[in-house]
Amino acid sequence: MSARQAAAGVLGFGNRTGLATLVKRELVRTMKVINQVIWPPIITTVLYVLVFGLSLGSRIPQIQGVSYAAYLVPGLIMLQVIDATYSEVSSSIFQGRFMNSIQEMLIAPMSAVEMVAGFVIASILRALLIATLVLVVGALLVHALPHNWPLYVLVTALVATLFCSLGIVFGLLAEKFDHIAVLTTFVITPLVFVGGVFTSTRFMPPLVREISFANPMFYMIDAFRFAFTGTGDVPLAVSLGTVTVLTFAALAIALRMMVLGVKLRL
Amino acid sequence: MNGSPELYDGSSTRSPALKIDGLSKRYGDFLAVDNISLRVEAGDFFGFLGMNGAGKTTTINAIVGLAAISSGTIEIFGHDNVRDWRTARRLIGLAPQEYNFDRYLSIRDILIYQAGYYGFPARAVRERADMLLERFGLTSKARDTYVKLSGGMKRRLTLARALIHEPKLLILDEPTAGVDVELRIELWDLLRELNAAGTTIILTTHYLEEAESLCRNIAIIESGRIVAMEPTERLMGRHGPATLSVTLDREFSAPSLARGARRDGDLRTLHFDGLDPAQIAPMLIELEAAGYTIENVEFRRASLQDIFLELVRP
Repeated sequence: MSARQAAAGVLGFGNRTGLATLVKRELVRTMKVINQVIWPPIITTVLYVLVFGLSLGSRIPQIQGVSYAAYLVPGLIMLQVIDATYSEVSSSIFQGRFMNSIQEMLIAPMSAVEMVAGFVIASILRALLIATLVLVVGALLVHALPHNWPLYVLVTALVATLFCSLGIVFGLLAEKFDHIAVLTTFVITPLVFVGGVFTSTRFMPPLVREISFANPMFYMIDAFRFAFTGTGDVPLAVSLGTVTVLTFAALAIALRMMVLGVKLRL
Repeated sequence: MNGSPELYDGSSTRSPALKIDGLSKRYGDFLAVDNISLRVEAGDFFGFLGMNGAGKTTTINAIVGLAAISSGTIEIFGHDNVRDWRTARRLIGLAPQEYNFDRYLSIRDILIYQAGYYGFPARAVRERADMLLERFGLTSKARDTYVKLSGGMKRRLTLARALIHEPKLLILDEPTAGVDVELRIELWDLLRELNAAGTTIILTTHYLEEAESLCRNIAIIESGRIVAMEPTERLMGRHGPATLSVTLDREFSAPSLARGARRDGDLRTLHFDGLDPAQIAPMLIELEAAGYTIENVEFRRASLQDIFLELVRP
């Protein structure tokens, strides 16, 4: 593809109706698969809080000034936001490619920027919805509420953007549905689980703690939990900075692939 | 863009609806389209024919932006589809060969969302969507998803979706593939109507009688190259003469009459190739005057199929 063509795919933010249509379409899709996207986070959160937080957690002293169950809630929200965002975006893109329905957008006057922005905005809205639903559960069960709402929204939006971008990348690269699960199974789930959802790095042996600092999920959860507890395992600037850098790096890759039309415009 | 975007009215200019110059499309070592040039005038009904794998769909994909161009240029009503891609795309409506509907949307929403991608807000197109559903006999299915539609209904929905943003150039890739005769004729009427109302139509088809019946101009592509591009009438006339066959009541034995006739196995039947129409009546009168009774007269024109095969056969 020539530079001229590459530019043609990206220039302009002019088709706002197209962008808004894509956002709406993605949210309609989410509501059509509500049993896969909206209810599971709530049910699993209730189970985690009941089993780990309230039963086992009663034997654990306070962490960062809150009960273990309340400490658990922000981590669980991040877990669900990450999981739902990645799986929704990657499967939406992959299905669109597989069924060719994504061509409805590709033949329309929509730029790569508008398409990526559509997926990102829908992901942020979906993430805020899921986060809030899980938060309601947390608030009811263990009175966990954020003290810093702007930070709560900011981290949710950044993490949604990051995993939306990864969803775009893997949704484009996947040759079969199974490929999408590779990132979830081998990367996202393990890293989230050891990234501080269930425990603080302060309780880890020094070596494990050092390794945790190389885990990107740790920074997302730590920054997000800061909105609740007002403290973190690392300074907020470090965690938030790391999340921001990762988000924009992933976004740049997703945008680049969309501009080039990787596996879309043959 | 806020509200309805201004649609560029292509018909008000003298630019052709489609102008392709030196288009090539390469997939690795395979040259799918080899330096083709095409011109489709505004208002035309244009047939784009070729065998499977000849390069039809690749060319269409290049026109609509689904395939990146390796070299050459494509203009839609004077708008380069790379440099001025937004305007170019807004002018085209595509009805693809394969069903590619959004499975999460209702039939009605498929139209409304498609218009949305083209920049039309829902409130501006609801009425038009309902009108198209009515016209294509889909109103009763408006709330269903496309999986509940019959094959014929899916075809009609493909066309309705391609028309939702009022394109000036409608590209139909095998619009009647797999539909029954009745629906095919219905679709033909619809296409004629659209064309008469000013929409330029480009059609690919496997049914050559479809192209013969609908298209004013035809291009034939073979192995990525254009092997013919001319008015349908001229193409039909140039290749393969019309044949008049006259069957008599008994064996013909007056060679001084009916000069130029040939006979095959049946000695009662005379075949005249490329006979001047003005000579037909005098020739029949002559035969009757010679005492023959004419039992049957058959006029056979070379079909587009004959011409097509002649052009694309190696």
